[in-house]
Amino acid sequence: MTKKIRIATQGLFLLIFLWLFLQTESKGANELGYPVKIFLDADPLIFITTILSSREWYQTFYLAILVIVATVFLGRVFCGWICPLGTLNNAVGSIKKRRLKTSTVNWYRFKYYVLIFLSVSSLFSLQLTGIVDPISLLIRSFSLAVYPLVSYATSATFDAFYNANIPFLVNVSEFIYSILKKIFLPFQQPFYLQSAFVGFLFLLILGLNLVERRFWCKYLCPLGGLLGILSRYAFLRRSVSEDCNDCGACARACQGSATPDREERWKNTECIYCMDCDDLCPRNAVHFGFLRNQPVAGMDLGKRRVIGSILTGLIAVPLMRITPLARAGVSDPKLIRPPGSLEEKEFLRRCVKCGECMKVCITNGLQPTLLEAGLEGIWSPVLVPRIGYCEYRCTLCGQVCPTGAIKKLELPEKNKVKIGLAMIDKGRCLPHAHATPCIVCEEVCPTPTKAIWFEQVRAKNREGKEQLLKLPRVDLELCIGCGLCEAKCPVLGQPAIYVTSVGESRSRDNQLLLP
Amino acid sequence: MKRRDFIKAAIAAGVTLTFPGNTGMIFSSLEAAEKVDIAVARGVSPAGITKAAIDGLGGIKRFISKGDIVVVKPNIGWDRMPEYAATTNPEVVSTVVRLCYEAGAKQVKVFDRTVVDPRRCYKQSGIADAASAVGGIVSFVDDRKFREVKLPGVALKSWPFYTEAMEADKVINIPIAKTHGLSTLTLGMKNWMGIMGGSRGRIHQKMDGSLVDVAMFIKPTLIILDAVRILTANGPQGGSLSDVKQLNTVIAGTDQVAVDAYGATLFGLKGADLGYVIAGHKAGLGTMDLSKLKIKRIAA
Repeated sequence: MTKKIRIATQGLFLLIFLWLFLQTESKGANELGYPVKIFLDADPLIFITTILSSREWYQTFYLAILVIVATVFLGRVFCGWICPLGTLNNAVGSIKKRRLKTSTVNWYRFKYYVLIFLSVSSLFSLQLTGIVDPISLLIRSFSLAVYPLVSYATSATFDAFYNANIPFLVNVSEFIYSILKKIFLPFQQPFYLQSAFVGFLFLLILGLNLVERRFWCKYLCPLGGLLGILSRYAFLRRSVSEDCNDCGACARACQGSATPDREERWKNTECIYCMDCDDLCPRNAVHFGFLRNQPVAGMDLGKRRVIGSILTGLIAVPLMRITPLARAGVSDPKLIRPPGSLEEKEFLRRCVKCGECMKVCITNGLQPTLLEAGLEGIWSPVLVPRIGYCEYRCTLCGQVCPTGAIKKLELPEKNKVKIGLAMIDKGRCLPHAHATPCIVCEEVCPTPTKAIWFEQVRAKNREGKEQLLKLPRVDLELCIGCGLCEAKCPVLGQPAIYVTSVGESRSRDNQLLLP
Repeated sequence: MKRRDFIKAAIAAGVTLTFPGNTGMIFSSLEAAEKVDIAVARGVSPAGITKAAIDGLGGIKRFISKGDIVVVKPNIGWDRMPEYAATTNPEVVSTVVRLCYEAGAKQVKVFDRTVVDPRRCYKQSGIADAASAVGGIVSFVDDRKFREVKLPGVALKSWPFYTEAMEADKVINIPIAKTHGLSTLTLGMKNWMGIMGGSRGRIHQKMDGSLVDVAMFIKPTLIILDAVRILTANGPQGGSLSDVKQLNTVIAGTDQVAVDAYGATLFGLKGADLGYVIAGHKAGLGTMDLSKLKIKRIAA
């Protein structure tokens, strides 16, 4: 019975998660209307490490405090009942054939070392949590890989029917397609750099469930580690009556590494309260309840290993930072951050690489970095104008950012923020280099007074015939670097006008013009 | 659409244009016996002047028959609100949709291939909401529905066009009058870019010829030029209210060149200042000489 309730609860939270994920998409208005980042807001690991690394308090994380309080009293119920990644692991793990032997490896301490590593490095301003935080990882994997994949596969299937154009059948398929479009398909096919890489890692995490059920949750998840520590003195505990005959059924069913077959060795920090042991105990000897005085096993992480994790966390900070990228003028010129992004150092202290901004970006222009921002900034957002520009009147990325790495901007403010500057490649520009009329960059330039203007010249063509040409020029004061010109430049391949980060408002040093 | 079908459709469209004296016209009114080329209506209500301008040409029934599938093509190209005059006035669009249904149209479709994100353009321009409120079938452009069409043109030899526009019984063009960097002004003929697929940016290399080629191919039933507000600078996207001029005018006509030539006068220019108007005139698409046209002015 408990199992059914648990599965229903898990399913409900997974559905809420997926539904909010689907709502992280523009419908034309500048508001989404739903609290799409609520799972990130409720994530205590992101909450604590972001406070450590940014040294700022976040009010939006009130839900994380709720989860912390709940864990202190009830234990890791979040892992067993709520966490959407846990639920997926649970589901995949149920495919695995049960063996009579209990777990082969017992690395449950490892997740605590990951947690210590992340906490120490974030204390010294290096925020790497997002890479392995389960909520962040899940949203990123869904945004960059799973959802584009599902969308591509679905569209390709229905396109095949559409192109085959078999009478009647095509009507049916188009009808189904239109419904799917309304329910869960994206407005347009999303494309992301590294989607295969991110998707492979996600597949790996799911696949580990076949090695051992909930492998990730037991051994790797740093959020599980944090909640484990918090649940050390939880009231909700497990007792075993004298009816127990050591059959070991509970140990085989255990979804954590809680060693439930020995009452006194039961590790409450490893229990995720799935209560399967209670459900299936043949003698009904297991009981969960508020048993403050019930003894639990100690938590021995090993002094040397803890010290080792702390040192690794310490060493990681300078190791990640000894890159020339931090020097002005050396940074990747194509590292164009979304509008409202904090100054780069501050930005990296907060960005948890969740991919919310990339998911919501209406032009698909926000892409994950690989090493453009250093290893520290892997999977942080970068605008690639050739894929998609920054829409002049859109502020969605700042609205969904859970940590304020991208500030939420009001429209008048957003319209003034420069994320870079456009410059013309006179060697490729049609009017400049080839005496051929083209005005696309000027036409699309979105600033109220266009940042692109024309210099009218008389130019001779090969036959010596004179013609009037409009040569585009960029007004560096007015240009905001949105990249619409680059996105629409008809000179394909390497565009004749392109944006680089120089001039971005957020930086004091990466400037071109005298202030 | 096969080429043969296209030709058939083109011929059919040509017939309606050449012989406007179909039944609707005969019964509509006797005062319209004198042929009006362009109707210009002025007044404070965009809906009122839109209807007045169409009535000035003989009423909607002259153009739309019972059972017609009609495409109404406004300019929804930009993520701008109506008061910025970068997109067609939503009330003008909804009025045309409503009139088409009143004339017995079976379906009235509204779409545009926008320049920036379609969701934002459709929503922020107010056109999607206004047109659906009166029953218009508002849809985003579906990339699969473009078909390559051979053009007997001078600048464009072939180009992908939107099938829903080509297969419709009647097409009504509802552009807004704006400035534009290369073509100086964007009026009716340039609005056809919204049913062109492919990499449209390239047509700017032979702008005037391309616009004429496309306009020759489309042959709208009716053109309604929205000049309720016009954009006088920083077009076609605009963004500053100081560039917007309120004219409270709607112009209706069936001659694409004539309507654009008249549109030029709103900006203090003449048809001869616009390359594509001259080219259209020369190609026999229409006439740019306003003195030879019967222009009816209506205060509504």
